Amino acid sequence: MHEVQKNDRSLWEVVGDYFRANSIWMKWYCTGCGAIEMPPTMTSRFDMEQLGMGPMATPRQADVLLITGYLSTKTLRRVIYSYEQMQDPKYVVGFGSCTLNGGIYYDSYATINQLDKYLPVDLYIAGCMPRPEAIMNSFGELIEMIKKGEAKGWKHYKENHEWYKANQMDSLGEVIIHDEFHE
Amino acid sequence: MTMIFIFLGLSLLLSYVLSRKQPTLGAYFTIIASLAGLISVYLLRNSVGVTESFYYLNFQITTIGWYFAMILLTVYFTSAFFNPFWMDELIYPAAYNSLYLLSLVGTIGLFFAQDLMTLFICWETAVWSSMLIVQQGKSRQAAWVYFVISAIGSMSTLFAVLLTMYLSGTSEITGALTYFTTAPVAGALVFGAFILAGLTKIGIFPFHVWLPLAHGSAPHTFSPVLSGGLVKMGAYIAYLSVAVFPAYQVFGDSLKIQGVPLPIYGLMILGAASIVYGTLRAIQQEDAKRLLAYSSVANGGYILIGILMMDQMAFAGGLMHLLNHAVASAAAFLAIAAVAKRTGTTKMSELGGIIHRMPITYTVYLIAIISMAGIPPMGGFVSKWLIFQGLSEKGLILLATAAAFGSIGSYMYVFRPLSAVFLGQLAPKYEHIKEANPVMVTAMLILTAMSLLLGVLPNLVLKTIAKIQIELGINPIIVNGTATLTENGSVDMLQVFTVFGFGFLLILILFMVLPKSRRVGLMDTYTSAEFIHTPELLHYGHSFYAPFERLYEKWPSVLPLYKRMSMKLSELGEWAESFFFHPDPNRAVLWIVVVAIVVIIGGAQ
Amino acid sequence: MTLMNFIYGFLAVLGAFVFQTSLTGINRKVTARLQKRRGPKWYQQFIDIFKAFSKSSITHGWVYDFGAIMALGGIAATVIFIPVAGMQAFPGLDNIFVISYVLAVGMLGMAMSAAGSGNPWASIGVSRALTNMLAYDIPFMVVVFTLIYQHNTGSVSELASIQQGVGILGWNFFKLPLGGIVSVIALFGMLGKKPFDSFIAPAEIASGPMVEYGGKQLGMMFTLHELMTFIEVSLILNLFFGGGETLLIYMVKYAILYTFTNIVSGVMPRFKIDQAVTFFYKVPLGLAFIQGLLVIYLGWGY
Repeated sequence: MHEVQKNDRSLWEVVGDYFRANSIWMKWYCTGCGAIEMPPTMTSRFDMEQLGMGPMATPRQADVLLITGYLSTKTLRRVIYSYEQMQDPKYVVGFGSCTLNGGIYYDSYATINQLDKYLPVDLYIAGCMPRPEAIMNSFGELIEMIKKGEAKGWKHYKENHEWYKANQMDSLGEVIIHDEFHE
Repeated sequence: MTMIFIFLGLSLLLSYVLSRKQPTLGAYFTIIASLAGLISVYLLRNSVGVTESFYYLNFQITTIGWYFAMILLTVYFTSAFFNPFWMDELIYPAAYNSLYLLSLVGTIGLFFAQDLMTLFICWETAVWSSMLIVQQGKSRQAAWVYFVISAIGSMSTLFAVLLTMYLSGTSEITGALTYFTTAPVAGALVFGAFILAGLTKIGIFPFHVWLPLAHGSAPHTFSPVLSGGLVKMGAYIAYLSVAVFPAYQVFGDSLKIQGVPLPIYGLMILGAASIVYGTLRAIQQEDAKRLLAYSSVANGGYILIGILMMDQMAFAGGLMHLLNHAVASAAAFLAIAAVAKRTGTTKMSELGGIIHRMPITYTVYLIAIISMAGIPPMGGFVSKWLIFQGLSEKGLILLATAAAFGSIGSYMYVFRPLSAVFLGQLAPKYEHIKEANPVMVTAMLILTAMSLLLGVLPNLVLKTIAKIQIELGINPIIVNGTATLTENGSVDMLQVFTVFGFGFLLILILFMVLPKSRRVGLMDTYTSAEFIHTPELLHYGHSFYAPFERLYEKWPSVLPLYKRMSMKLSELGEWAESFFFHPDPNRAVLWIVVVAIVVIIGGAQ
Repeated sequence: MTLMNFIYGFLAVLGAFVFQTSLTGINRKVTARLQKRRGPKWYQQFIDIFKAFSKSSITHGWVYDFGAIMALGGIAATVIFIPVAGMQAFPGLDNIFVISYVLAVGMLGMAMSAAGSGNPWASIGVSRALTNMLAYDIPFMVVVFTLIYQHNTGSVSELASIQQGVGILGWNFFKLPLGGIVSVIALFGMLGKKPFDSFIAPAEIASGPMVEYGGKQLGMMFTLHELMTFIEVSLILNLFFGGGETLLIYMVKYAILYTFTNIVSGVMPRFKIDQAVTFFYKVPLGLAFIQGLLVIYLGWGY
C-alpha cells in the first residue's frame, strides 16, 4: 500500500478546489441511527447550507459520501457500488464510532469494523452519536482540507485499487447470483 | 398528362408480371415507376389549365391538384423503397405491387379530375386498391372497417355527384359546384354529402375508427402511404367542398360565429374534437403504429380547420400542414417499419435502446417528430404557427385552445416511442441487430431532408400556396425573402434556424472545452445502490403516462356505439335474408313472382 | 443579420445567466429566511455551477451528450429571442409562438438526454414534466390567444410596449385581471415551483430527469435551469407587467416577480401530477375562458 505523493496542484485544480470546498453536496448513506442527527444540522438551529452544504438525490450528483453508522457486509456492497458511481473528486466521511471501530457492534459476525479498509475515508467524525455541533465542526475541517488539496482519498483509492479490492473481497466473499432478487 | 396515367397503368401491369417471376424485382420496379410519375408530374407545374380527355375520363391540371399530387407522389416514392424488403412477408406480393401503383393512379387521377364522374371513379379506384392492400396485413377485420367507413364516404360522394349533375346540368367540377350559389338549400345538402366523404377519409372524429385499425395492421410499408398519402384525399374533398363549392356564400345567411357560418363552424368543432380525441388516444397507445395512426387523426383536425377557414393565414397553414404532416408522418412510419424489420415487433414495451444499434433511424424519427409536434426549425412549426395566428386573429378561442392542446399534447405522444423504442435500456435479444439497410436509409433521409428544408425555407411552398389563394380570390400569404408575413406577426425561419445554430454552437464549444466524459455502460446507472442484472427490468416503456391516462381512461368511447350499430345492421341483414333465402323453395318462388309483377307493373307506366 | 447581432446575442445569454444566477442565490437566502435560517452566500449558485463544471463526468452514449447540448443550445437561442426592455439581438424574431416553441426544443433535448441515460427514474421524471407542461400551457395559451386577438399582434416586444406609458394601470395584469392571475399561476408550473414540482421530486424519483447527471452535464443542466427561468419570467413580465422602459426598471420588476413566486412556493406542499392537471384544467382554464369570452364577445378590456 503506497501513499499518494504530495504534488503541487495546477492552477485549474486550485480554482476547482476552491469551488469544491465551498459547495459540498452530500449523498447520505444512512445505515443506522446516525441519520437522526442530520435533520437538526440542516434546519434553522445549525443551518448547514450557510457553508454551501446540502443533500443530493443521487451519487452521480454528490461530492461527499456520508456513511452514518454500522455497515453490514450486505450493505457494504451497496456502499462500494454507490461510491464507484460518484464523480471525481469525491470524498468519504465516516460518521460515528461504528465506522471507526465497529462501535457497539464490534464483535458482530455481520458487520465490518473499520471502514477505511474498504473505502478511502477522508474524515471520521467520532462519537456515538456525534452531535450537530461535531458535524458542523468536522465539515469545517473537511472544507479546509479540500481547499488545501489534502483530501485525496479518491486518488488513493485509484492508486491502491488492488489493495482495497482484496480487502473488499476478503470481507464480502464471492457472490453467486441466482436471479434478480436472490444472490 | 394522359401519358402519365397510361404509363402508370402499363407499369402496374408490368410490375405484376415481374413480381410473378421475382417479387423483389417487381417491388424495385414500383420505386422506378413512382419516381417517373413524380418527375413527370413535377414537369407539369407550368401547364396549369390544360385539359385532356381519355375516353370518358376528363382531366385538368390545376395548381391545387398539382400540389396534392406532388405530396402524394413524394410519399409513394419514398415508401416504395421499403417494398422490396417486405415481399417475403406478404401473401400476394404480385398483387401488392400492382395495387400499390393502382392506388397511386387513383389518387393522382382524383386530384386532376375535371368532371365529377372522373372524380368518383378515381376515388373508388384508390379506395378499393388500398383496401385490398390493407387486407394483406395483420387483420382482416381492419380491412372490413376501412371498407365500411370508406363506403359511407363513397355512397355520399356518389349521391352528391349525381344530385349535382342532375341539378346543374353539367358535370364539370367548377361549373357544377358554383351553380349552388343560386340554390342554397340543395347546396347545403350537396355540401353535407361531400364533406361527409371528406370527413370519413381524413378520419375526423367520429369517423376516425378505421384509421388506427387500418394503419396499425396494414403491411408496414403501406402504413406511411395510408397516413401520409391517402388521408390527404379527404383533405382534397374538403377543399373542393369549401373552396370550389361556394360554401361561405351558400351559408351566408346562417348565424355567424366570429364571421364563420354556423355549419362550417360546426365542422371546425369536429376538427377540434378530433385534435383533442386523437391526442388523448395517442397518449394511451402501447403500439407505435397505432400511436402514429391516432396522431394522424389529430393532425387531420388541423388540416380540416385550416382548409375550412378560407383566409390568408390559417388556410395557408392548413395546406402547408398537409405537406408537412405527409412528410413527417411518412418518415415516422418508415422509421418504425425499419425497426420492425429488424426486431419483428412494433410494441413499445418490448423494444428499447435501439438507438445504440440504429442511430440513423433514430435521427430520422427524431426529426420527423420534431416536425410533427410543430417545434422549430422543422416544417410542422410553420404550418401550425400559421393556423394559430389565423385562429387568434379571428378570435376563435375554442378552436385555438384545441389546437394548442393538440400541439402540446403531441410532445407527449411523440416522445413516447422516442423514449420507449429508441432510448432506454437495450434488451440483450437486440444486442446484435444492425442499422437499416442503405436502400431504406436513403428513403428515410430524403424525407428528413425535406422536413428540415420545409422548416428553414417555408417560402418555397408558401409561394405555391399563395398562387392557390390568388386563384380562389382570397388574400394570399405574403412571403418576403425568407420571411413569412401575416397581419398579426411575422417570422423568418432562416433567421430562427441561424440563431438556433448559433446557440447550439456556443454550447458545443463550452462542452468541448470542459474535460472529456468517461463512457459507461447503460446498466451502470443509479438504482438506489441495488444490483440489477436484467436490462428489461430497468426499461420504462409500459404505461408511460399512467397518472395522466388514469384521468380519462373511463371516458366513453364511440366504439361500443359502432359495435351496436354493426350488430343491428347485421341483424337487419339476417332478417331481410330470412325472407328471400329460406330453405323452403316456395318462398323463393313467391318472391320471384312478386318481383316479376312489380317489374311488369313498373315497366308498364 | 450582422456580426454585431451575434455578439449582442452572446452578451444577452451571458447577461441573462449572470443576472438570473445571482437572483437565484439571493432567493436561496430569502427561502432560508422564511425557514429562520441564515442561508448561503449570495453567489453560492455560481459556486455550485462552476464546481459541477470542474468535476469529472460520465456519458451513456452520444444521445446523452447530444441531448444536453441540444437542450442548452435551444434554451440559449431562446434567450436571444427574448426582448429585454425593448432591446433585442435579432429584431422581429420575438413572436410569442416562436419563443414558446423554441423553448420546446430545449425541453425535448433535455428529455432525450435524460431518457438516453437508460435510467427509469429519468423517464418517469420526463413523463411527469411533459404532463405538467400540458397542464399549465393550455390555460396560458388561451390567455395568449386573447391577447393576440385584442392587440392584433403576436410580437412580445410590441405587446410590452403597448402597456407602457400609462402607469401601473396600463399593465395587462390590471386590464385583464383574470388572465393575469392565470398566467402567474402558469408561471409556477413553468418554473417547476411548488406545488407543481413533482417531476423533480428528489426523495421519490431521485430528482427525475436529473438522476444520472454529474460533472459537466449537471453543470449544463443547472445553467439550463437558470436560463429557462429567465425566459419564462421574462415572458410573463413582458406580457402582463409591461416589460420595462429601461433596463433598471425591467430588472427590478423581474426581481420582484421572481422573488414573489419563490416566497409563495416556499410555503406550498406538492401536488401529485394528476392533481396538478386537474387543478389547471379546473381553475385557471376556467378563468382563462371567462377572460377570453369577456374580451372577444363583450369587448371588455379595451
